[in-house]
Amino acid sequence: MNPRLSVVLLALSLAACGSSDPEGPRPTPDAGTSVPDAGTEDAGVPDAGSPDAGPVDSGTPDAGEPDAGPPLVIPNTLSGYGLFTGSPADGGLVPVEGNVPYTLSTALFSDYAVKSRTLYIPPGKTAHYEPMAALDLPVGTLITKTFAFPADLRKPDQDVRVIETRVLVHQPAGWEAWPYVWNTEQTEATLATGGRSRDVTFIDTDGESRSFKYSVPSKNQCQQCHHLLDDQGAQVMHPIGVKARYLHHNNTYGGVERDQLEYLASLGKLDGLPAPADLPKAPDAFDPQAADLTTRARTYLDINCAHCHNPKGTAGVTSQLFLDIGTTSMFSLGECKRPGSAGSGVGGEFDILPGNHAESILWYRMHTEESGKMMPQIGRTVHHAEGSQLIADWIDSLPAKTCK
Amino acid sequence: MPRLQWTRATSATLLALVGALSLTACSDDDDTTPDSGVKVDAGTTTDAGSDAGTTDAGSDAGSVDTGIPWDGGSAGTFSCEGKAQTTLNFAPGQEEAFQDQVNTLAECTTITLAPGTYTFDNAITIRKNGITLVGAGKGKKGEGTGGADSTVLVFTNAAANSNGLDVVGDRFTVSNLAVWNAKKDAIRVESSTDVVMRGVRTEWAEANKESNGKYGLYPVKSKYVLIEDCEAYNAADAGIYVGQTQYAVVRNSVAKQNVAGIEIENTKYAYVLGNTAQDNTTGLVVFDLPGNPIKGTDIRVKNNIITGNNRNNFASVQSSSSTVSQVPAGTGTFLLASRRVELTGNTWGNNNTVDVAVLSGLAIESDPAQWVAGGLNFASADISIHDNTFQGGSGDNVDNGNTSQSLRPLGAALAALYAYGETQGTLGVEHLLWDGLDPFGHDRAQLNPINICFANNTLPTGTTTAIVDLDLQAAATLAGQGNLPGAWAKTRHYAANKAEFNCSGFSPALTIGDFIQ
Repeated sequence: MNPRLSVVLLALSLAACGSSDPEGPRPTPDAGTSVPDAGTEDAGVPDAGSPDAGPVDSGTPDAGEPDAGPPLVIPNTLSGYGLFTGSPADGGLVPVEGNVPYTLSTALFSDYAVKSRTLYIPPGKTAHYEPMAALDLPVGTLITKTFAFPADLRKPDQDVRVIETRVLVHQPAGWEAWPYVWNTEQTEATLATGGRSRDVTFIDTDGESRSFKYSVPSKNQCQQCHHLLDDQGAQVMHPIGVKARYLHHNNTYGGVERDQLEYLASLGKLDGLPAPADLPKAPDAFDPQAADLTTRARTYLDINCAHCHNPKGTAGVTSQLFLDIGTTSMFSLGECKRPGSAGSGVGGEFDILPGNHAESILWYRMHTEESGKMMPQIGRTVHHAEGSQLIADWIDSLPAKTCK
Repeated sequence: MPRLQWTRATSATLLALVGALSLTACSDDDDTTPDSGVKVDAGTTTDAGSDAGTTDAGSDAGSVDTGIPWDGGSAGTFSCEGKAQTTLNFAPGQEEAFQDQVNTLAECTTITLAPGTYTFDNAITIRKNGITLVGAGKGKKGEGTGGADSTVLVFTNAAANSNGLDVVGDRFTVSNLAVWNAKKDAIRVESSTDVVMRGVRTEWAEANKESNGKYGLYPVKSKYVLIEDCEAYNAADAGIYVGQTQYAVVRNSVAKQNVAGIEIENTKYAYVLGNTAQDNTTGLVVFDLPGNPIKGTDIRVKNNIITGNNRNNFASVQSSSSTVSQVPAGTGTFLLASRRVELTGNTWGNNNTVDVAVLSGLAIESDPAQWVAGGLNFASADISIHDNTFQGGSGDNVDNGNTSQSLRPLGAALAALYAYGETQGTLGVEHLLWDGLDPFGHDRAQLNPINICFANNTLPTGTTTAIVDLDLQAAATLAGQGNLPGAWAKTRHYAANKAEFNCSGFSPALTIGDFIQ
């Protein structure tokens, strides 16, 4: 991702966290419940006095068991969560206190959409550090991701149109994903469980105008990426991005540069954090100063592909192609590996033909925009020029050999 | 139909044969050939050693798992009995509401779709158990719009890379509708138990398009699957596909104009009954893929019509790595890396390359390491072909005369061999072709070590030879040296009643289908 693109929504979402507080009372999530009030659609104002959606969480420790309280009643509008004030129309979608904005050092590519992210962990609850997997987030956690397109990628903070906000909800029975689509006035996002299609036009970094149909995934489609197999072989939803290695870098909170993980810990929202020197760190895959080519390419594959292509993802199980950062076998990464069933015309015989990206299926699937051949399966209509170039460079850098 | 004309193959073409057949890695290294430990037997009844051609009458019958006596109904643990069951009704114009509700279904919901045309911009993604989706009828071939008594789901302008129906859920039924122009697979059901597809049509508007969706009806990694009274047209891979599944019935269905009409892949216990597979590149195929951990076995193919499958292979393009993209046009049926298969009561004819081919997995993937996941499942064995009708008109125009060494090497090899064979009086590929590879490296004195039975079949009048053992390894080596007469001499051509093939199946017999009408 072009580093510049991450700026705009970050600016939007961090507005409240700058040194100047927003005007008037700052809404806060209802501290008496395990989740923000879901029962009202009160446009982000505190729900003082209105009844909560369910019994109040007593706040007592759960003795190691997940909170078996009632599930959050999913509101019909994004504002119903009480996670934000303002709207894109009035200059900023501002996270309320406790809804912590964060960025990823390398983000998953989604058609050049600019994204902003927030993490809300309910009062009295704490996430636990995980060295490799996503943070162990308590029931009641809400993760939001807002997708937007500037009119011109070269001016990423101007004429930004916000398309959708996805909310990952950690319910007592597990994670759920809910898509909200913004209205044309940019004043409210409404639940669109079945997903929606939106025409998007922008000018790319080369100055070319691009138009395509952007797909807001349906609730069920979210599972295609957000799943891992449990010990019984059942698909279980998980967050993707909130892994320590992608969070371990600085962000601005209250006008102060803070490491995101340490900031969460300082809020009491994260425990088990090791010493800074022991924290894993994924580099910005597009910053040549940040890491060597292999590390950057592996990081890109890790965040973009490994949620399916890992030993616990059904696509990974089927393909035996493992692209997670923990994979050490070059064969499992695709070198000289034939796909089980690649279909027709995907550029080559092997997932990776070392030294030759043009005949590597891995690169082909990333680069093509042809339906049925491109990867990932959903979430992409156009190809990521910078991403496929990175992978091309990496494959070309591998010592050439003849696979047979 | 033009007969094969003998032409002097160029030495370059002949040299290419060996490489194309990918056999060099296995040809001269006894210690590392797959021979050791992977004699065909591997738990089936075939005796690869001493009694060539005869079944061993149950000596190791106890080791064969013949499955359960499934009657084609629900057999999994999920049931809607005693549970709240609701019905949702939708009509054309309510696609958005339909999509929203599909994503919040309670289990055991029935969705009825009134007649007409439904236009979707994304897949219909179902992730609940006990869902029934029912329309007003599947309409007729070529109809991309619904009528008064048909329901057509149109995906022509849907998001790239999306399927039509995309389902994970036990006890799923879809019936009486058509799926038109899906971007990928028309109906994909994955990791589900008790799946019924009944009276469904999957179709792409344009024939012969490599960019069409790959599969029409696509249950995969599932258990207890019933496909009946369905139709599938113009899929760029398989019209009806059952993969990595246990217990499947495909019956009374029609597959036309696909690359593969009906495909049974890495599946245990499949019953393919009373279907029509015509005008595909290949009509009905059974195979295991390399690298797949599931070992296919116990397949019964009965009373199907598999004629005129001569469509040019429109998935056969450069850099294609799918199995069916390598199949020459005009292949009625091929069995590849498959065991315990019974073909009975079927009709074959007018398939330009061959009616039935029995192939080793090594013919498409010569590296045994690629077959480790399935327990070295490359070998075909225990194939019983009895009481079928071969109408004739087959085997006389391999790959429609449009051979390609690089894209469809087996077809190119066959064409070269039979071009020479015609000068020797053999006018076409026999009805049953065996590549002679399994068990790999076997003693050639054994005429039929993998127990292929060919008995009581009706053949065209005047048939002299009905079976060919290509001895592909030896023939390809000689052909690669430019020695076509020598290559031809390695092939063996038998009359239908050749004793070594005139056997009565294998033991224990298949049970799949015994309880299904």
